Amino acid sequence: MRRQMEDAGMNMTPMIDVVFQLIIFFVTTVDLQSKALDSKVRLAMAPHGPAVEKKDPREIVVDVEANGRISISRSYMSIGVLKSILKKTVHEQGQTIPVVIRGDGKTNHEDIKAVMDACAAAGLWKVKFAALKEKA
Amino acid sequence: MARKKKKRDMPSAELPMTPMIDVVFQLLIYFLTTIHPVDVMANLDVFRPSPEAQKEKPDTPPKMIRITIFADTYLINDRPVDAAELDRLLSKLAAIDKTQTILIMCTSLSPHARLIAVLDLCAKSGLVNLSVVSTN
Repeated sequence: MRRQMEDAGMNMTPMIDVVFQLIIFFVTTVDLQSKALDSKVRLAMAPHGPAVEKKDPREIVVDVEANGRISISRSYMSIGVLKSILKKTVHEQGQTIPVVIRGDGKTNHEDIKAVMDACAAAGLWKVKFAALKEKA
Repeated sequence: MARKKKKRDMPSAELPMTPMIDVVFQLLIYFLTTIHPVDVMANLDVFRPSPEAQKEKPDTPPKMIRITIFADTYLINDRPVDAAELDRLLSKLAAIDKTQTILIMCTSLSPHARLIAVLDLCAKSGLVNLSVVSTN
């Protein structure tokens, strides 16, 4: 093959470089995408729920793991800290901020309740529960 | 046929297509295997009545539909039902009025998946006014 290439007088090296760059790019971005969502939370299925079409960039996603641990974008916090974060956000941006609770299907309701109460304490009466509409 | 012809033409064009096609096929296979469709998410909107409002009316008005979620069963207006029956009743109710308030009472120890299941059934029937309260 190498001899053939030399005959053809075409240098494969830049092409391979580019291909590797592409591969590395996609490998890292695909990984990031799944990491952002696929944490330790296994969502319950809701096949009839309304699909998420537009995502509000302001929305706060609170993850609740099966053991009740609360996190926002992978940083764990106590319920008190969550409360103060929500209060601060509401104070800065108003009560129209959408809050999405991504609760594991096995989480006990009391842990979800704690998060909902924190939202209510901050003046957020409307919350959303994230669920899986279709599993890919 | 076409490819054979091309191959014969190639030496004069001094560009070997074979390695390029190889690489392209490799890339194609790589992306087909790695990029799987992302799960479709659903967001289920609920209202969280304030704790004060909850205390004000311990006896819920008769017009309101109450669904109680236990770890092993559902109650609709204190009548035990299974998921299929609940689905049937909710679609009946939705046929009357889609905007009526459904009070969903969830016990502390029921898994979150059961709440999602009820919210999913409500979404299926098109009921929009869902209040989630927690009970012990």
